[in-house]
Order: sequence, then structure tokens, then C-alpha cells
Amino acid sequence: MKTKALALVGGLMAATALAAAPAKADVKIGLLGGVSGPIAAMAPAMIDAAQLAFAQVNEQGGILAGEKLVGVVGDSACSPQGGTDAATKAVNIEGVVAVVGPHCSGAVLAAAGSVTVPAGIAMVTPSGTSPEISGLDDKDTVFRTVPSDDYQGRALARTLKEQGYAKVAVAYLNNDYGTGLANAFKAEFEAQGGEVAGFAAHEADKASYRSNLADLSSGGADTLVIFDYGDGTGLTILRQALENGFFEKFVGGDGMKSDALFKELGSDNLTTFVASSPVGEKSDALDVFNEAFKAAGGDPDAIFVNTSYDAAFLLALAVEKAGGDKAGVAAALREVSNGEGEAILPGEWAKAKALIAEGKAIDYKGAAGDHNFDANGDVPGTYALFKIEGDAFTVVSEMK
Amino acid sequence: MELAGLLNYALFMGIFIGIYALLALGLNIQWGFAGLFNAGIAGFFAVGAYTSAIVTTAAAEGRIGGFDMPLLLGWLAAMVAAGLIAWPIGKICLRFRSDYLAIATIGVAEIIRLVVKSEPELTNGARGITAIPRPFGDLDYALSQMAYLAIVAVVLLVAYLMVERQFNAPWGRMMRAIRDNELAARAMGKAIERRRLEAFIFGAALMGLGGALFAHFNRSITPEAIDPMVATFLVWIMLILGGSGNNRGAILGTAVVWIIWSMSEIATDQLPSEYAVKAKYIRLFLIGLMLQLVLRFRPDGLLPEPLRGAARSDQDAR
Amino acid sequence: MDMLELLNFYIIPGLVLGSIYALGAIGITLIYAILRYSHLAHGDLATLGAFIALALVQAGAPLLVALPATMALTALIAIGIDKGFYAHLRDRPKIITVMSSLGIALMIRAVVQVVWGVDAETYSRGIVRPEVYWGLRIKDRELWTLAFLIAAVVVLQLFLARSKWGKAMRAMSDNPNLALLSGIDNRKVIMLTWIIAGGLCAASGVFLGLNTELKSMMGWGMLLPMFAAAVLGGVGRVEGAVLGGLIVGLAEELSVLVLPGEYKAAMAFAILLFMLLVRPTGLLRGKVL
Repeated sequence: MKTKALALVGGLMAATALAAAPAKADVKIGLLGGVSGPIAAMAPAMIDAAQLAFAQVNEQGGILAGEKLVGVVGDSACSPQGGTDAATKAVNIEGVVAVVGPHCSGAVLAAAGSVTVPAGIAMVTPSGTSPEISGLDDKDTVFRTVPSDDYQGRALARTLKEQGYAKVAVAYLNNDYGTGLANAFKAEFEAQGGEVAGFAAHEADKASYRSNLADLSSGGADTLVIFDYGDGTGLTILRQALENGFFEKFVGGDGMKSDALFKELGSDNLTTFVASSPVGEKSDALDVFNEAFKAAGGDPDAIFVNTSYDAAFLLALAVEKAGGDKAGVAAALREVSNGEGEAILPGEWAKAKALIAEGKAIDYKGAAGDHNFDANGDVPGTYALFKIEGDAFTVVSEMK
Repeated sequence: MELAGLLNYALFMGIFIGIYALLALGLNIQWGFAGLFNAGIAGFFAVGAYTSAIVTTAAAEGRIGGFDMPLLLGWLAAMVAAGLIAWPIGKICLRFRSDYLAIATIGVAEIIRLVVKSEPELTNGARGITAIPRPFGDLDYALSQMAYLAIVAVVLLVAYLMVERQFNAPWGRMMRAIRDNELAARAMGKAIERRRLEAFIFGAALMGLGGALFAHFNRSITPEAIDPMVATFLVWIMLILGGSGNNRGAILGTAVVWIIWSMSEIATDQLPSEYAVKAKYIRLFLIGLMLQLVLRFRPDGLLPEPLRGAARSDQDAR
Repeated sequence: MDMLELLNFYIIPGLVLGSIYALGAIGITLIYAILRYSHLAHGDLATLGAFIALALVQAGAPLLVALPATMALTALIAIGIDKGFYAHLRDRPKIITVMSSLGIALMIRAVVQVVWGVDAETYSRGIVRPEVYWGLRIKDRELWTLAFLIAAVVVLQLFLARSKWGKAMRAMSDNPNLALLSGIDNRKVIMLTWIIAGGLCAASGVFLGLNTELKSMMGWGMLLPMFAAAVLGGVGRVEGAVLGGLIVGLAEELSVLVLPGEYKAAMAFAILLFMLLVRPTGLLRGKVL
């Protein structure tokens, strides 16, 4: 029997050894995502969007001396345990030059703390929104393309107040994403003179939220602000609020800008729904990405796909700029995005590659913002308010 | 891949196995030797991790602590806190027999998880605690991993030796007597409730220590780390697969399960890249299937509980 | 808060939620009583049921046809799982089977994710606003959920009380050795247990999907409340599981009135712990384990 167990482990080892012999020329970037676990519904689209960036690189002449850029997918399972495991394998077994992800803040903090920071590998998370990430002692290797919750929450509060929303209730998911957004939103909305007439967290994946909604609506607000995920619990809450007539108007953060909303609830029912989401200052950058992602069979309205794409494309640019040197990727990341130099839009790899070869400065203008990283590796972010029209999201107004 | 990479990966696995082995040892005291069905490992793991984090981090705004104390004090506090939490739970719940205790401890662990997530004054809420000091964390990647592995290995060795010693001492014989025949043990005048409570608290303290080591290794602890799947059920699989009642079995089981858990991803990555995401689901399927195979062919665990006393001479005679 | 509001937004949703928990809890309690282990794959089995029904609905079957078909299919799958994996472990310590069921949970979830993907799905697009009966806001699907639970329990109780095989099941549950001695066919009773547990488990998944959405993790999230319901009602008692389910559902919804919303999930366990303290055999005297 012992031999059987040994054979099992041996087989796995052999598979590992096989995995360890890649085609020589490939340049690898890790794509760590919460494929299994609580955000399983979001992860695949985010990974596909990042893979699109790599596909564009490979179509347009490849990276460095024409090598193929490969995304190595790892399952961070949305937990610190999974995050460190996936990051260790990506960095040590696959030998990636940089990492996109992990998706959940807890996994980002753990993977950065025990793997990528000590190993000196640049990491860009497209969806880890926790403020704790800003404060990491990260030797300047941890970045994110998703703006911090604080910024979005405040911008959304100001915009809503301007547009005449006066009394709102807030329902938020009890995790770092929901809590961060909700607290920032509440502080700013009240500072602007608005009234928050209901403010409650909820746990994910319960079958009914009607009592929560009844409780929230008892304050007399006509608008419900939901900070949750549109293909998870946020969808359930919005459905139950609509079905039971709890609120008239609905507002979501970027996590609610999901195609699942109109696919499952029908766009006719969502005429009073708006959601904020990051966009580039050059608004055509988002359109360029949307077109390309649609053409590749992806859904541009899935959550965090534009930040994922930007993270992947930025890292590809940085690797090119650094000449493939792992240790230089983080510094190069700032150079290709800091706002000086020729503008590069999503997908313009050949152009960027030529400019880098000439030694000219470039500046990536992404689908989810311009990504001028600050000292903490955070981006300020520019937002727009979206509404649902037909079966798509369209911009209502810019947010300041 | 270079040799250095493989070494780093092996170091990482060693550290993880060491940490989880502490949890499995703790569970072995409770289940393997005292027959207590604790399905709330995540709760004690969390208490330990957060206690040590609060004790050792620098002062922070918005939550209690940090107290910036030395590391060893943090780990000691983690064990004490986990034990202290275990005491009233044990006092109340240990009179339930196995499966009721299981559901009661699951409940307690879920309540602890929700408190950790929802009380920012205590634990910084959903954001978790970061900037937890890691011993020798300033060294190079590989060196600091080696140093941490050495620490974990020493802690595990000490824990193993102590637990092993207790098991072979009269205390351990009494525990097994209680587990195997409560009535007979009671008739012999053993203080069953008290012994059970001791086992429960010792086990919980080891789990707390495991949590503390985990937090310091990652330099952060967040509520996602105390999900029942990765912090409770996984440990159970490790112990049962390794052989409950056998401390070496617990450690071996931890190693085998973690190796399967981690390496199965490398195996499924061999699928063509268009299945890269699906491969992760298939990986979970394979993990489940391998568990079935081991349970089918080694239902007593890889290293079954050693026969002692009469049972052994019985077997020798045969 | 007036009475109607309490009924509409707390009691009715609580009852619907409770019915869904109860359907799962019946299976858990039966498996526990007859096979004597905790079946941790029950939540994921419910997920599988919900998605099988989705496949049938998408193939054009009305839900009324899809539901019984799904229950039958899931019952078959449950028997298959038992034969393939649990049967070999029957003479071993029960904890081995508990661990095995955990592995099965992972496997079932993986199958669902590979076959149906991970996106949120619904049986029918759009939303359904409730009808108003004398001020009570109730949706058809909520009535169906409650009606199904009541029908299932009545049929099941009659079966257990009157039929030969129902009596055999009760005998197995009360005293397996005596039952075997008196010539009851162990294998048939076990198969019957899985048919009932699997079918009702699938139904709970379908009704959960009908009242919310279908997600690949939906069943796993229901597992702990379902266990709480089974223990609360008294292990081995069908009507206890129903009562337990309804109490857990109601308690979760009503908890919002007294506790912050994030502690909703803790409610089931708080009640359970209290119950274990004052009455360890459950509400209706179940087995003492």
C-alpha cells in the first residue's frame, strides 16, 4: 500500500518535472486568480482579459527578441493559503518575470509578504482593493490597476449628491471591498450634506436578503447603494429589492457593473440603475479594449476585466522596457505609465515596442484609467457613471 | 526552472507542512487520543493568528494594539488565548458526544470568523492585520525561507516530542482508556470530564500556535485565511489520511495531503492552455478522487495507530 | 413596524428560506439516522440538482416536469456515489466516510464548474413581482416552495409509518442489529435512504435556484445551516428536520431586527448552541448520539 501512495506522489513529481521543461524562448507572466473559492464567478473573465493582452503581444511581434509571452494561470483560491502557494509555484517553478493578481486582497497581502516581495518580483493586482495594500512594505514591487476604494467611494458620493440623490441607504458586502467603499462613501456623502438613512453589511451567499432590505428601507430612503459583486450576492439583493419594490433607484460600485444584471434580471427592470466604474481619461481607450475583448469572445461588461487587461498589458510593456530583467520590471512599470511620453492605447503593442527600441518614452493610457502610479503603487483612477441601455452599459456622465 | 527555484518551492512546502502539521497534531490530541470531534479548528487557528498579530505588531490606529512585543511572547499569547477560548467551549460542549460536539464547534468557529470579520476595533475587520514581523524576514528570499523553516521545524519537533511523551505517559494511557471504553474508565475512578477538557485545551493551544506561525510567515492575517475549507476540513483530511492516533501519521498525512494539494495544480497545468481555467476545476476533482483512493485502500491511514500493550502482544502471538 | 410588514418582509421570506433548508435537512437527518454519518457533500449535491434542472429547462422542459426528473436523476447519482465510494467504507469508522463525503463534495463541485461554468444563472430571465393577497405579498414560486415541502413531508411520513419499507427504515434507524436479525435487507434500506435523501436534496437546490440564482457555490453555503436544522430538530426525525429548517430560516431573517446584518449567518448556530445546552436531543426527541 505504501508503494501505491509513493507511486502517487512520484507521479505528481514526474508531472512537475515535465512541467519544468518549458520551450526555451517563452517569457512567462503569472496570472494568479481566485478560480476556485468565493469569487469563482468573476475569475475566468478576468484571466481571459489578461490573456487577451498577451495574445495581442504575440500577434504583434512577440516580446523582447520575438519571444512568445505566456500567461501562467495559478489558482489563488481567494485565500492566503492558496495565494502563497500559487505565487510560490509561479515564481519558482514557472520562473515568471512578473505577476498579475492575485484577485482577493487577503491573497495579495499574503503572497506579497511571503513570496513576491522577498523574491523581488513585480506584482500588479487588478482587483485587490484593500487600503492595507497601499501600506505594504513592498520595496516598490506591489502595484494595482484598480483604484483604491476610498477614491471611488468619495467620487461616487460627490457625483450622486450633484445629481440630486439626497437620501440613500447603503448595503455592502462584509469583506474588504464592500467595507472600504461603503465607509468612504458614507463619510463623503454626509460631508456633502446628504443623508445616509440605512447602512448595513451583509454576509455573502445567503438565500434571502429581504429582511436586510426591509431594515434598510425603514429609514425612508428611495435609493439603495449596493457595494457588492453583480454576479454574486449583489445580484440577489438587487433582484429581491426590485421584486419586492423596496427602493426606486439603485446605485452600484464597479463590482456591480456586471453583464449578469441585464442577462438575469432583464434591462427593462433596470432603468433606474447606475453604476460607477473606472475609465481611461482618453475615453476611447475603453472602447478600443471593449472591441478587442468582444472580438476575442470575451464580455467587456464582466467585472474587473479592464483592470485585469491593463495590468497584463502594462507588465508586458514593463518587461519589454526592462529587457526581460526580472529585477528591473517594477521600475520599468513606472516608466511606461508615468504620464510622460507618447500615448499608447490598449493593443498598440507594435507601436510601443518600436518606441521602446528607439529609446523613446511611452505612456500607457489604459482601459480603466491612465495608471500613473503614486508612491504606494496605487492609481488615482478616473470614473464614469454607467447605466444600462439595451443589453449593454453606456456612460451617463463623468465623475469627479 | 532552475534548481534554486525548486529549492525555494521545497522550502515553502516545508514551512506550510510544518504549520499544518501543528494543527494536525493538535487535532490528533483531541480526536486521535481523546475522541473529541472538533470541527472548529479554524476558530482556534484564527484566535492564535490574530492574538499573536495584535501582540507583536507596532501600534496601529483604529484597533486594539499592536503592542510591539517580542515574537516569542506573541506565540505564547497565541497558545494561551486559544487555550482560554477552548476552556469555556470545552466546559460547555464536551458533555455532548462526538457529532454534537462537531456541530457545536463548527458553530463556535463560524461565530469567531464573523466576529473577526465584523469588529474593526478588535481585528481591523475585513481588512485584516498587516506588517506582522517575520523573524529573519530581512534576509534574502531563500535564506529567510530557510530560517523560517528551521524555526517551524524546531517548534514542530518540540511539540511532537512533548505530545509523544504525554501519550506514552500514564496520561496518554488514561486518555485512550477513556476514548475506547468510557464506562470502564469511569468505573476505575478516572476524572473523565477533566481529562477530556485537558486534551481539548492542549489541542486548541497547538492550533493557536499554528495560526500564529502562519500569520508571521505571511506577514499578514486576513479573514479569508480562516475559511472552514482551508482551515478546518483540510486538517481533518490530513489527520485521517495520515492515521489518527499516531503523531507521526499526523505529520506524514499533512505532508502527503499538502503535496497532493499543491502539486496537483502543476499536473493539471499540463492541459492545453485553452483549458487553463478549467484545469483548476479538474484539479479539485483530482484532489477529491485521490482522497477517495487513499481512504479506499488505506482506511486506517498511512501510519495507523500503533498497537500498544495487550493488543500488541496479541498480534505478536499470532 | 406594523404586522403586515413583519409578515411580508421577515416571516414569509423566513418560511421560504426555512423550507429550502428543511428539504436538505430531511436528507441529512435520514442519512444520519440510518447510515450514521454526517454527509458533507449534501450541499454540493443540491447544487448539482439545481444545475441538472437548469439543463432540462434550457432544453425546453417546463419546471414542473424538470423538477421530478431532476429528483430522479439526482437520486440515481446519489445511489451511484454510495455504491462507488461510501459502500466500501461501511464497516470502517464513520469518520472515514465523513472525510470521503468531503472529497465527493469537491468532486461534484468540480463537475458542475466544468460542465456549466461559474456564471450566475436563472431558470427564467427577468423578475417576478409578488401577488398581493389580503395585504400579504407572496410570489407563486414561494407558494410552490412551501406547498412542495408540505407535500413531501406528508408523503414521506405516510411512507415511513405505513409501508413495509418505511417501517424497515425506521427499524434500521432505531436498532440496526435487531433490524438485521429480523431479516431486513440492509442494502435495500440504504438504497431507499439515498433515493429519498438525493431527491429531496435536489429539490432544495432547485427551489433555492428558483428563489434566487444558480451559482456553483450555492449549495456549499447552505450546508452549515442545513446541518444546524437537522440537529436542531432532533436527529432521525423527519418532522424535526422540517421544524428545525423553518426555525433556522425564520431566525436568520428575524435576526436583522436585533443584530447587525453581518451576523445573520451566526444566528443558526447561536440557536443551535442554546438548544444543545438546554435540550441535547433536539426539539423533537431524536437520537442521543
